[in-house]
Amino acid sequence: MIDSAAFVSYLEKNFQFISGVPCTYFKKMLIYLAEHETELQLQHVIATREDEAMGIASGVAFSGKQAVVYMQNSGLGNVGDALTSLAQLYKLPMVLLISYRGLESDRAFPEHDIMGEVNEAVLKAFNIPYWILSEKNWETEMNLAVKEMKNSSSPVALLVKDGVLSE
Amino acid sequence: MKGFKVITAMKDSISEKDIIVSSNGNISREVYHHLPQPQVYLRGSMGLPVAVGLGLALANPNNRVIVVTGDGNFLMGMGSTVTTSFYKPKNLKILILDNKSYFTTGGQQTVSPALNYSKFIDALNCEYNNSKEASEDQIKEDLSRFLNSNTFAILHLVIEASKENLENIPWHPEKISKEFTGKISKSS
Repeated sequence: MIDSAAFVSYLEKNFQFISGVPCTYFKKMLIYLAEHETELQLQHVIATREDEAMGIASGVAFSGKQAVVYMQNSGLGNVGDALTSLAQLYKLPMVLLISYRGLESDRAFPEHDIMGEVNEAVLKAFNIPYWILSEKNWETEMNLAVKEMKNSSSPVALLVKDGVLSE
Repeated sequence: MKGFKVITAMKDSISEKDIIVSSNGNISREVYHHLPQPQVYLRGSMGLPVAVGLGLALANPNNRVIVVTGDGNFLMGMGSTVTTSFYKPKNLKILILDNKSYFTTGGQQTVSPALNYSKFIDALNCEYNNSKEASEDQIKEDLSRFLNSNTFAILHLVIEASKENLENIPWHPEKISKEFTGKISKSS
């Protein structure tokens, strides 16, 4: 598992805001965020829907600042219009941190099966560059994602598998 | 009172530092043509103007952010009103222009009449809220009280369903972003 303090510290250096809807895969990171809210230079905005979180991140990006948007991949099904008619259309940079549900460890949760199968195809269909976050090389993967986000001034995604950001 | 007249009446109260977010369709066109430029003219992302306004308000605490949305758009993203009420940024003002219809697409009815806006907004516990029919005699005063309230504020105005023949916004969204970001880097 990636150390929550190290991961949040990375986010703090590259982003001013974080908004989203939780997934169990982010539990440790979100506990860390909640416990350190007052001392962090990273403002957390709780959202009711994933597309709302992207709307908030878009307002942040219009202001020349950057936000991370976290969501379960089920939420990827909710953000199509926020991507195509807002963030991508207006060239608004943001990182989407998406949990990769529906793989082997989720066999007891059939609600994730279908999105798990099409997750990467959906990202490809929306032309969103993405990386799969690994325990070993996460900083390199984050650096690549942030660089691409800045160069393209558009959303990029990181897929987070089971056990990578929470036990 | 017609919606574009409400928007035109805002003109005297808007300063260069203010940020307006307008919802897709007629409202964005009216804001583009009648109020100082540039602003955040949304062309799509129905249901998200309040969320975009919240992001702008939090990222620019020294600027007043005014969201101008229709009822269809507001209803689609109603959860965002609860989110904004959780954070209550003092610099955020939400103006709902309610013509009880999806007017841009031809005037189809919305479910807006089912909502008692006064009770709904009141339940969000924002310090300034008002729900009424827009009237020519009182509009300037209503807008001034709403926009100058030093608190998170919601104003719901029932308006006459009407459409002006305005040209489409000539700016591509990338130009909207560029113009707006240029303005904000100077004024924040």
